[in-house]
Amino acid sequence: MLNAPMKPADDRKKPFFVGLRMTKEERSILDKIQEKVGLTKTESLLKGLEILSEYYSLGLDQPPLSFELKKLEEEAIQHADALKRIRRREDALKEIIHELRIIDQIVNKYNDKNALIQILIDIQNKFNWISKTAVIWISERLEIPTSSIYQIATFYKFFTLTPRGRHLVRVCLGTACHVRGGPKVMETVERTLGVEQGDVTSDGKFSLERVNCLGCCALGPVIVVDNDYYGNFKTADVGKVLSKYS
Amino acid sequence: MSEEVTLAIDGKEVKAEKGTTILEVAKANKIDIPTLCYNEKMTPYGGCRICMVEITKGGRRKLVTSCAYPVEEGLEVATNNERIRKVRGMLLELLLPLADTGPIRELAEKYGVTKSRFEAKPTDCILCGLCVRYCAEVKKVNAVCFTGRGTSRDISPMPEIAPDICPICQECNSLCPAGKIVELTQDRHLLSIPISKKKTIASG
Amino acid sequence: MVEKLKSASELTNLRERIIANRDPSKSVVSICIGTGCTALGAKKVVEVLGEEIKSKNLEERVKVKQTGCLGFCEVGPRVIVYPEEISYFKVKPEDVPEIVSQTIMKKDVVKRLLYVDHGTGETATTLEDVPFYKHQQRILLEKNAKIDPKDIEDYITLGGYDALPKALFQMTPQQVVELVKKSNLRGRGGGGFPTGRKWETTRNAPGEPKYVIANCDEGDPGAFMDRSIVEGNPHSIIEGLIIGAYAIGAHEGFIYVREEYPLAVENVNIALGQAQEHGLLGENILGSGFNFTIRVHRGAGAFVSGESSALISAIEGTVGEPKPKYVHAAIKGLWGKPTCLNNVKTWAYVPLIILNGVDWFRSIGTKNSSGTAIFSLVGKVNNTGLVEVPMGITLRNLIYKIGGGIKDGKKFKAVQTGGPSGGFIPEQYLDTPVDFDELTKVGSMMGSGGMIVMDEDTCIVDVTRYYANFLSDESCGKCVPCREGLKQIVGILNRICAGSGREEDLKTLDDLSELLRDASLCALGSTAANPLTTSSLYFKDEYEEHIRNKRCPSKVCRDLIAYYIKPESCQACLICLRNCPVKAIAGEKSIVHVIDQEKCIKCGMCIEVCPFDAIEKLSPAVPPTASYGIKVTPKKRR
Repeated sequence: MLNAPMKPADDRKKPFFVGLRMTKEERSILDKIQEKVGLTKTESLLKGLEILSEYYSLGLDQPPLSFELKKLEEEAIQHADALKRIRRREDALKEIIHELRIIDQIVNKYNDKNALIQILIDIQNKFNWISKTAVIWISERLEIPTSSIYQIATFYKFFTLTPRGRHLVRVCLGTACHVRGGPKVMETVERTLGVEQGDVTSDGKFSLERVNCLGCCALGPVIVVDNDYYGNFKTADVGKVLSKYS
Repeated sequence: MSEEVTLAIDGKEVKAEKGTTILEVAKANKIDIPTLCYNEKMTPYGGCRICMVEITKGGRRKLVTSCAYPVEEGLEVATNNERIRKVRGMLLELLLPLADTGPIRELAEKYGVTKSRFEAKPTDCILCGLCVRYCAEVKKVNAVCFTGRGTSRDISPMPEIAPDICPICQECNSLCPAGKIVELTQDRHLLSIPISKKKTIASG
Repeated sequence: MVEKLKSASELTNLRERIIANRDPSKSVVSICIGTGCTALGAKKVVEVLGEEIKSKNLEERVKVKQTGCLGFCEVGPRVIVYPEEISYFKVKPEDVPEIVSQTIMKKDVVKRLLYVDHGTGETATTLEDVPFYKHQQRILLEKNAKIDPKDIEDYITLGGYDALPKALFQMTPQQVVELVKKSNLRGRGGGGFPTGRKWETTRNAPGEPKYVIANCDEGDPGAFMDRSIVEGNPHSIIEGLIIGAYAIGAHEGFIYVREEYPLAVENVNIALGQAQEHGLLGENILGSGFNFTIRVHRGAGAFVSGESSALISAIEGTVGEPKPKYVHAAIKGLWGKPTCLNNVKTWAYVPLIILNGVDWFRSIGTKNSSGTAIFSLVGKVNNTGLVEVPMGITLRNLIYKIGGGIKDGKKFKAVQTGGPSGGFIPEQYLDTPVDFDELTKVGSMMGSGGMIVMDEDTCIVDVTRYYANFLSDESCGKCVPCREGLKQIVGILNRICAGSGREEDLKTLDDLSELLRDASLCALGSTAANPLTTSSLYFKDEYEEHIRNKRCPSKVCRDLIAYYIKPESCQACLICLRNCPVKAIAGEKSIVHVIDQEKCIKCGMCIEVCPFDAIEKLSPAVPPTASYGIKVTPKKRR
């Protein structure tokens, strides 16, 4: 039913069974959508009825679910905006659904309110940020107030509430590295990338952060890009190292 | 199983149930110890340090917060000696530039702190946590919470809860040493604006 | 499929079987892939070695073992060929074919890869000949060269899990506690509290269930010994935890590892899985009827979480904020139950004490501080790395004999021990023996064992400012003295380093230090004053120079220095000009280059690239007026 080939041309010239006339413009818009989706108008309408019936049977038309659903939809658009990539409503929703299912998996893995920090670490590792939607979702799943989650997400350095860049550059500024010229390395990286520590480059490629000790103190100064460690680092090598990452 | 203990506060012998805090015992015996972040409706926080007293136990002296320290047999407590007055003076000197209002101004005058050597942005918030703890423990709503850490510690309203509830409730206002909670909630940035984590050695 | 061991004798049999299966004549090449050596390219060496062995068909005769860290990271990657124990350092992938053809196949030494002592020029063939290692007594770290942390069998063959059956079957829990008490083991997390006493308090405290926790938060910048043990020999900690749990009566344990150590997290998880498979963890351990499980909790980037009450808060799932510690964790800790929290090193000593006895442990170290201590000797010394020595060695021996003295022949200024909670120790106290009590006497503390050596080019005020800034950054912000006090201290020190210091600043800093010591909620705050107090005590002149004369004697503080090109030395080679990131240098061929002081950002790039040593730093920042157009005085290149 869903993937049946397009009906013959004659069918398409017949009047619409709901009695609405379409202008030539409207017709060409509909044609474009149907071509992309691969369904005819009647197939789309039938599918819509199925979805609506399930919508009503789940109680999504009544408050409080109707209210929360609307808010989630708004969240999805804002979320997509923050990621700077998706514009269309349906893609934003698909993205959110995908993320929320993954968050479900992570929460189920621990299945323990007390493992909140471990859950957040996994989420930060997977998505590169703790989004507002993630906070709301975890609050629902674990039945804890959002304040507990925000408190933890803002207390620990590992979590970010805005998306990190594709590559994370961490410059060690522990004591041993400080004494061996760590601050100069940080400055040079800041200058090369054009951001201050804690920020993301405008193209979303690099995030620059300071880390207080990586445990490589005998090799100071040290920088880490993603999982690649660079010891005995020289400021002259900044450009060379950063150009390795796309 | 309430065991009674005998202890001395400022040289005066008092009896109390084992496990009560020094502050509660002092109050019951009409001995005044100043507090800022304490409220009997909530669990003790121990953040402002104003209520610190000097105890002598087993020959050793140390400063403890009277709001959290449980009394023991034979404890000797000094609530207002020179060391304590100096500590309170320094604490108030640090807090005055932040919030020169009501209870803080009164305490500062009492301890002889008329001006401060320190400069700080007058945020009118000393992060005593009374609003946060009230909302969490008494109202159980969790509309405001602590965010961040260290010098970037702040109190933020929860965007999903605060705008609807705070204007109606306003109960934490009477607790705030700066008396400005609801204004803060409405003026402060909501968490939907990303929190900046910029920290350089040059900035304070 | 691995069979769960159900008795002590089954474990002994397993050990004998593994040893019998290993051919002692087979060469074993041990390469460190700890975080340090990996940062220097060890993984590529491993790859090339594997390929070379395969291409020469030597797989039957040689086994490559990827091990943990031995602590001498700056000369990594480190390769040791057993059984001869020939040790090579700074190995590059290009060196591998020679190692295979010469050393593995012909037992010949590749001279250029041996360790060369800076001072004497002597080479060392085996690990023990290397002066850095010769003076150490590595009871905890020695196994790191021979163990693949991802393989429990390595640990077992070296006598691992031998202490466990002894404790479980030959001793009662009380006897284990008594043994640890008699050994005088003191907590290696920094506090130095007698471990046996802590175990006893936890054991006797009312309440069930009880918990044991191993602390690998190691937030002290400059310290990486916990990392080496957890990465390189996780089973030593696991065995210690099981014995401790048995002694205390706990059935659940946690290992808290900071997320900045991903390799440690990975290896400890693998080790736990293997121990569980072998019946050394879980239900009915070795058939003794004792049950015990361990979970790993990852930290998320907070130095303050290493403090015991904060760590417990973190495991409970809330922010890692310290709580007023008027009731010890041993009585009311995790979820209000008796909890014994110790540093990973403390736990790792336990199996050794059980196996070798109290007298052995007490024979090492000093009267009040038994055993060894691991220090992270870093900074301006020639040989930086982890040093495990008996307590009581003097600072002088540590820095000069093992550390090889100050780098580049510069003059010693101070050594900072105990991380940001410790203090600066100046030259006059270099003969202080290192143990818990002696270091406290001179105003510092042992702490986690970090030891940062500073020379004449280190500005003490700058380092104090660094520590204050670090602690202010890491403060949880709950109590006023730490949050507001440290903030003001950082502000004042910033002003001093920028040349706007005032006379009264020193008194204000003193007052704030006293407040921190007296009124802080936790040890982060109360020890935050130590760098400040010791630096003003021993290096007051540096502060005064900064404040009164706007001069930084070590020429470090940006705003108090100026870069100046000496006209008589400049050869007008244009190199500094090209490298200056802000184009602040004017010059041309044969015309002496001049730095525009308004534009100069004091990055130091010019000094780094100048081949003629023609640029110097001046403090106070008042360079002679530079006139443009001076002709160069030609000189021969160095």
